[in-house]
Amino acid sequence: MNVGDPIEQSALDRRWRLWASAAVGGILVVGAVIGMLVLPNFQRENAALDLWTAICRAVGITEGSPAYRQPITTAQALPVSQVAWDPDVLDILANANPQQGAQIAAQVCVACHGENGVSSVLEYPSLAGQSSAAIYKQLSDYRSGARVHELMTPYAAQLTVPQLASVSVYYGRFAQQATGLGGRDLPGDDYIVKLAREGDSARALPACDSCHVPGAGGPIETPVLTGQNLQYLAAQLRAYKTGDRQNDVYRRMRDISEKLTEQEIDGLARYYRGVLF
Amino acid sequence: MIDHGATERRILKTELRWAVFVGFLVLMILGAIVYAGISMHINPPSNREFIDPKTLHLSGEFTEANLGTSVDTDGQVTTRVIATQFSFVPQCVVVPANRTVTLRFASPDVIHGILVSGTNVNTMVVPGYVSQVHTEFTRTGDLLMPCHEYCGFGHSQMLATVRVVPPEQFRPGPDGKVTCG
Ligand SMILES: [Cu+2]
Repeated sequence: MNVGDPIEQSALDRRWRLWASAAVGGILVVGAVIGMLVLPNFQRENAALDLWTAICRAVGITEGSPAYRQPITTAQALPVSQVAWDPDVLDILANANPQQGAQIAAQVCVACHGENGVSSVLEYPSLAGQSSAAIYKQLSDYRSGARVHELMTPYAAQLTVPQLASVSVYYGRFAQQATGLGGRDLPGDDYIVKLAREGDSARALPACDSCHVPGAGGPIETPVLTGQNLQYLAAQLRAYKTGDRQNDVYRRMRDISEKLTEQEIDGLARYYRGVLF
Repeated sequence: MIDHGATERRILKTELRWAVFVGFLVLMILGAIVYAGISMHINPPSNREFIDPKTLHLSGEFTEANLGTSVDTDGQVTTRVIATQFSFVPQCVVVPANRTVTLRFASPDVIHGILVSGTNVNTMVVPGYVSQVHTEFTRTGDLLMPCHEYCGFGHSQMLATVRVVPPEQFRPGPDGKVTCG
């Protein structure tokens, strides 16, 4: 038998394997004693628990419970958005019929939002470039009254949810076409460009681009801003700022717009204006 | 011939040295955990509470109108905060000093985390769960509450303020609410 032979090696290592196992096991035991006996004993007073309950909770036998029962709240969310991205809604969007959407678009939407979703009326948004989720969210909010507009509210109220979804999916199809369109007419203001791309930590202002570029990873309903009409963008930021518009879930845009100055609103709207046509 | 015995002993010596070093590190880490647990009251959250992240904003405890600090009829101070991409709602909360405060957090989107600087308040905010912390603030003033779990491109701008006021300046309105404004 040679040195280095697996069997001899195994016999030689035996003692060390035992020691190593004992060391690892010992650390586990010490850790368990600290975590499940020592610390619960020192910390139980904070939650007004007796020792046995504290140990049972640390071990995981007894479920931890709120030390103070929470009252049942019935607060309602109106007029904040009623849209929740549950599987039912995603199903409706996934199964929507774009041909039906195209018909509705041709009858109703084109007048203001333009051919192929590019609006030449600068107060109205272009729909090209937006995801179907973004369009669906706004249409649903018009329908529920969370967002109000003299023309959009009655149009959205006339349509059924599947019809809204079909329009959203129809316009969502222009998304990829539009992202490649046009160049950006960058204003010279470096400060605005920095605000849009990097945000401002001192004012807790996240960069616009951290949500508003395709695939940024923000909320699913976030619209894309590139190429959007200047007047429309500035008007929306001001509406959020004054609280006239409140359908942003959890004040995401209201809290940001409140911190922006009038010059910053105009500057950002100009920055995102695209040259689409 | 190579002296296998000598090589063996040399390897053994190195291995033992490293084993002692690693053992020392493990003990240091355990010691730090015990120290933090006993002297700074740092402990894992004790409650496990589920909540549907998709419908948080629609009704119940974490609707926009119900967020912030409120005082129950029995005097219990509860602060409810939403962590979302990329802000806390509300952006500033008021709490009284030297009184037990229950902080409750929820997320409608991704995993966030919070810590209140200079205190033992530190927890992750995981969608689907309510993160709850009981604490007592002792230092008055504006404390910074940043998000400490990477949550997306706007993570580094995700900050809120915890305003700790002396108990006599903590005056809830008729609805039991206290706000920064
Ligand atoms: Cu975060």
